[in-house]
Amino acid sequence: MKKENILLLAAVIALPLVLRPAIATEIWIFAIFGLGLNLLLGYTGLLSFGQATFFGSAAYVAGWLLKHYGIGVFLALGTGVFVGAASAALVGYLCVQRSGLYFIMLTFALNQLFYFVAYQWTSVTGGEDGMPGIPRPAFLGIDFRDPLPYYVFVSALFLLSLWIMKRIVESPLGRILQAIRENEVRAEAVGYDAARFKLVAFVIGGAFSGAAGVLYAMLFGIVPLEAIGFVTSGNVVFATLIGGSGSLYGPIIGSFVFIWLSESVSTLWARWPLLLGVAFVIVVLFFRGGVVEAWARFWSWRSSKQKI
Amino acid sequence: MGDLKRRDILKIGALAAAGAGLGFPAIVRAQSKEIVILGLWDQTGAFSDVGPLNDRGMRMALEERDMKVLGRPIRYITRDGATQAGTSTRRAEEAVDGEGARFIVGPWSSGVALAVSEVAKRKKVVHLFSGGTEDISGSRCHRYSFQWAASPYTAAKTVVDTFVKANPKAKRWHLLVADYAFGWSVEKYVKEVGKTHGIEFVGADRHPLGEREFSNYVQKAAANRPDVVAMINFGGDAVAGAREIFNFGLTPKVPLIMSWSSGVEELVQLAPEIRDNLWVGTNFYYTADTPVAKSFVKSYQAKFKLPPGYAPSAAYSMTRMLLAGFDKAKSDDVQAVVKALEGLEMNDIVGPMRVDGATHQTLRPYFFLRCKPKAAMKHELDFADVIATGDAPLPKEYAACKDIGSF
Amino acid sequence: MSLLAGQILNGIATGMLYALMGLGLSLITGILNIPNFAHGALFAVGAYLLVTAVNVLGNFWIGLVVAPVGVALLGLAIEYAGIRRLYAAGHDYQLLFTFGLSLILAEGIILVWGPVGISHLPPEILRGGVDLGFTFYPKYRLFVMAAAGLLVFLTWLFLEKTRYGAIMRAGIENKEMVSLLGIDVHRLFTAAFALGAYLAGIAGALTAPIRGLSPGMGVDMLGIAFVVVALGGLGNLLGAIAAGLLIGVAQAIVAAYWTEASTVVIYAVMAAVLLVRPQGLFGIR
Repeated sequence: MKKENILLLAAVIALPLVLRPAIATEIWIFAIFGLGLNLLLGYTGLLSFGQATFFGSAAYVAGWLLKHYGIGVFLALGTGVFVGAASAALVGYLCVQRSGLYFIMLTFALNQLFYFVAYQWTSVTGGEDGMPGIPRPAFLGIDFRDPLPYYVFVSALFLLSLWIMKRIVESPLGRILQAIRENEVRAEAVGYDAARFKLVAFVIGGAFSGAAGVLYAMLFGIVPLEAIGFVTSGNVVFATLIGGSGSLYGPIIGSFVFIWLSESVSTLWARWPLLLGVAFVIVVLFFRGGVVEAWARFWSWRSSKQKI
Repeated sequence: MGDLKRRDILKIGALAAAGAGLGFPAIVRAQSKEIVILGLWDQTGAFSDVGPLNDRGMRMALEERDMKVLGRPIRYITRDGATQAGTSTRRAEEAVDGEGARFIVGPWSSGVALAVSEVAKRKKVVHLFSGGTEDISGSRCHRYSFQWAASPYTAAKTVVDTFVKANPKAKRWHLLVADYAFGWSVEKYVKEVGKTHGIEFVGADRHPLGEREFSNYVQKAAANRPDVVAMINFGGDAVAGAREIFNFGLTPKVPLIMSWSSGVEELVQLAPEIRDNLWVGTNFYYTADTPVAKSFVKSYQAKFKLPPGYAPSAAYSMTRMLLAGFDKAKSDDVQAVVKALEGLEMNDIVGPMRVDGATHQTLRPYFFLRCKPKAAMKHELDFADVIATGDAPLPKEYAACKDIGSF
Repeated sequence: MSLLAGQILNGIATGMLYALMGLGLSLITGILNIPNFAHGALFAVGAYLLVTAVNVLGNFWIGLVVAPVGVALLGLAIEYAGIRRLYAAGHDYQLLFTFGLSLILAEGIILVWGPVGISHLPPEILRGGVDLGFTFYPKYRLFVMAAAGLLVFLTWLFLEKTRYGAIMRAGIENKEMVSLLGIDVHRLFTAAFALGAYLAGIAGALTAPIRGLSPGMGVDMLGIAFVVVALGGLGNLLGAIAAGLLIGVAQAIVAAYWTEASTVVIYAVMAAVLLVRPQGLFGIR
């Protein structure tokens, strides 16, 4: 096994020993979310600023079914993946015709549309109050209400998602998406319908986001309104950029850094978003490429020093 | 090869160090002597201005006891709930699991409190809350959560009964309601009580929490030609609404009722002209004539210059209630404290209070005020007079809490 | 239907503010081609600077002149110190940067002015209302309508009739050509950002007595500004003005019949228009 995979496995095993299982679980959920986003952002070059649309919609629908119809865990997951993919197909269809700033603004504004619908539809979503009372149904006799079994479940799903995403990006589809990112005109000229492939990327990204959304709802027992808000959309983009959108593992590192920052610093200073903003500015000005690239640069600098 | 191994070890080490910063399990960290109490107060989000006030009140109550109870030190921790259900539940769980908190006071927003109440039920920790939703002592009642604020029924009855007595001819009411748990509960009872007086509700519009652009709502209200406009909202929303209702010429001709106000903190933001013909219902007003209130208001004002409104007072009183629970139970065991709180009676800032064991609702007075014109103000903070208090409890037929449940 | 007439008046008033915001953002996105997620925060800073200026200088009118200039200077500094380095960086980093900026500004506001909402009354002569027959309307809102309208007109005048304005419009169309003509494109960008910031700042300053101030007041405005720009067409200045008014009026009319839907309507209109006309109502690209 490659060294990154050994590390990852070690992290998955070691994490609940050093962190509360709930936070560790949240990190892997956010990593799944980031993997979905990065297919669009890193591999296809599409800055989708509205991924919360799919994350939140999946959470609401699956949450509703879990709460009122008592469906099982895998059905809930399946629902989430389906809703995530379907909503992404809808949004993607509207968006892929546009590019550049239009595209970004459109994903943002459509996210807002979904957000305000969720806000107003209080009879279903609970509006401002959110949808509490989401259960964690047992599976094969395993009670997921304990934090540790749920953590094992989520981290296994994360590893599965990572494996799936790896297969996707290394497949011909993945290479076509990267070709579109590099030079869309040329890709079209060679015969690939860029819009269609972008839509496919959207749907896959949406499916991953949907899975993450359902796991999130089950983790906290509630679907909060923020789950479908643009701040969540922004968070996953920023986390991925900070980790490094140029690599498969970037979103994972970004998830660690982001959740760690927001959870630990927030207890120290109420004005911690200021530090977050400063961190963003610093990353943009000095560490473009994120942690992954900074790390690579650091090691190549070190090894170049040693060569002498 | 050697380089690689070192790099990997460094990475794992960095991860572990980072993880340590996030908190080891409570077993390792918590000191068994301390009693850890969490104040879940918002520093960001829609109630970012209320959180610091809540914190003041709670701190004052704890400091009155020198941060000790039952001869043991109290560790008071606060977490920013961000006025959001997701963040608040997360931080509450983190405080319970990571810091060993077994007593939660807050948050301020009713909707968020409902979510936190679920955490309290799941984690089996004591939860005190003050807010306008009836569900915590109603349909979502359970053994661990307690409601300090007056029941929305009590509030509505006090407000509507008193106002109708003073203005018997005002039969057409228009409502402006904040669109979440608190707004819905109070609206329901204002309508119920209003119907018994023959009041016609010519309109009821809901606005989002945090709304600042009230022109459309006010125009709609004006078009209905009401005799009264009653707002069921809070804080910044209430201030913005009252201002626009004045700007568009509704008040002072048409009386404006702020049904569930924070009292001083809102009134101080309104110019005297806006307060003309303004009637205010609140869970606490600083001129309340009780010994505890007098001493609390005096200390608060000495420290913070303004007298306390509903927000810091609720935090103060809830904390005192919790401390009284410890005293009565002679223990910090969660179940013992819950049992002690059930049926607890005390004289506090609002006067005589009693916690109904069957619903965990505090039975206590609600205040109704009438604002004074500028000429009648004896000093710059003399905004209003308390013209009535009411403590009618929720009638049995409305009680949605059929069984408070077991531990 | 005097309710409808009153609502339309409301709609024009808020629409004018939306137009100002959209105009500023359209300039910035059109010329600099960056997604400026700090635009809402600039709006908020304008409002807070107004209140401070009035408190310090004692006069609303002077404050109204000074505050937006302060925001423009802030915009100048931001462009010079940060945005300037990001033109080649790609939208993702521009977005990250401007979003980080918006956090810094919003938290900065809390640090300087505190988290509590602030009320600010309009100047004496603009208090109270007038009876317009079909509705009683606050004087200050009429003033805002007029002032915003005047500003929009002046901006249009500047862009259409002056040489520098022509350069800016040319910059929207074709940056390379502009630099080939010997014009310093960097200065153009800085000026455009400063002007956009100015417009956001004065929209904020005008809004302060209406909505009161709170540190998060820019967030909703940001979303609306983006909708206006998307509808009006990136860089299409007349389009931004028309779209702003359209959105304001649509929101107000819907509020008359179905209040809860009035915000959703903005985004629904945008989605519907972009489905039919992807370039926006007035865009040509």
